Amino acid sequence: MITRQLSISAPIFILIYGVQEVIVNQFRLPGGGFSIFFIFALVWAILSTPDVAAFSGFASGFLMDLSPTSSGPIGQWTLIMVASSYVISFLGSGNENVKGNPVGVTLFISSAVFLTETLFVISGVLLGVQTGSFGQVLLTICGFSLWTLVITPICLPVFSLLHDIALDTRSKI
Amino acid sequence: MRHGGEGRSRLLLIVLIVSALFLITLDLRGVGVLEGARQGTQTILSPFQRAGSVVITPFKNFFSDVTHLGRTRNQIEKLRTDNAKLRATLLNRKNADAQLLQLKSILNLAGTAGYKVVNARVISQGSSQSFSQTITIDAGTSAGIKKNMTVVAENGIAGVVKEVYSQTSLIMLATDPAFKIGVRIAGTQQIGILSGRGSRSASLQLLDNQTTVKVGDVLLSRGSVANRPFVPGVPVGYVTAVDNSAGAIAQSATVHLYTNFATLGVVAIVVAASTVNPGDALIPQKPQPTPIPTVTIYVTPSPSPTK
Repeated sequence: MITRQLSISAPIFILIYGVQEVIVNQFRLPGGGFSIFFIFALVWAILSTPDVAAFSGFASGFLMDLSPTSSGPIGQWTLIMVASSYVISFLGSGNENVKGNPVGVTLFISSAVFLTETLFVISGVLLGVQTGSFGQVLLTICGFSLWTLVITPICLPVFSLLHDIALDTRSKI
Repeated sequence: MRHGGEGRSRLLLIVLIVSALFLITLDLRGVGVLEGARQGTQTILSPFQRAGSVVITPFKNFFSDVTHLGRTRNQIEKLRTDNAKLRATLLNRKNADAQLLQLKSILNLAGTAGYKVVNARVISQGSSQSFSQTITIDAGTSAGIKKNMTVVAENGIAGVVKEVYSQTSLIMLATDPAFKIGVRIAGTQQIGILSGRGSRSASLQLLDNQTTVKVGDVLLSRGSVANRPFVPGVPVGYVTAVDNSAGAIAQSATVHLYTNFATLGVVAIVVAASTVNPGDALIPQKPQPTPIPTVTIYVTPSPSPTK
């Protein structure tokens, strides 16, 4: 069962990661743009059980660390994504206001993006990564969150369907 | 049963967090395997990025036009008057012409300074997700590019080679918060350190408390030992504001960078610098104002009407 789930999930994660690196990164959008892979990983986490979310967070964080444009040390995104994915899955599990409602999921994901990016900045400062002026960081985080608010409703049906196919959980939104 | 499930869940979480911390430790200690993994990823992605760049360029132009709608309104109004065929031709050639123009300016800059350069096309913009400002170009070790080489654009410095792969290179832009360059003020030769701030405006910190800087001063790169990472004499930007705080040890200033990072299509990597320091020869010329023609009208009074 786990082997089947992994063998379906892994290509999906790699495909979305490829889309992010090859297509989305080509656009320089105002406010820092968005990361479709980041949104996907968080949507996946909110639809999964905490165990699966932590594991998928580890995998997605590691892929984000492998991105040549990532500024921090390898493992930083992995750590952040494990924690974020577990927490949002834990908070979302059993809460139908969040999990069963597309508007709830969108707002939850946007808030999660805001908090995860903030966590990344704080951990980056602790690890000695330079992230720029406070204003610029705030602008990027807010821009990212707003873009997530726009992009999530568009991608949510597809991501939910992929999650349903891979994990067979019937959690379509 | 529930307790057992929760215990397993916590154990998994701890194992994953410890693994992540282990990865961070290995990376910070400089274990080559992890750096190789990042290089491997870029090697795999680069052909796709190259193909993606070609396919996506029309869409990028469309989004660029949309985001600059306000600024280009007059231009759009003017274009509307053109006929459809001319507009279609212009649209197809727009990208190539812009890159050609950038390339010409870069070659002029490099030629004046006597730099040996390798030109490259920008194939990917880095995501701002990690707060870094980077681009990927389609030239790597096979074109003679090495780590820590100066990257110039049409009007001045663009950044520095951060990572180099066989067919591509990752460039840290001058806007990156981690970017730092030693600069000197053209004319007065005062020196300072310029740091990126995430936007086209950078900050300058002078090193000597006896020297002063004023608005409009032009900054050039000071150059590094063996010309890496920076060759001397490359225009960096000009001072737009000076901070004269009473408690500051030395003056600081805000600098507007010459390079327009939003439209970077082509860059050049300086693979060998001239043996002679170009001095202030590369300072961009200030735009000459277009003379307004004076029209003199002579009015001859008409004879007064007679009743």
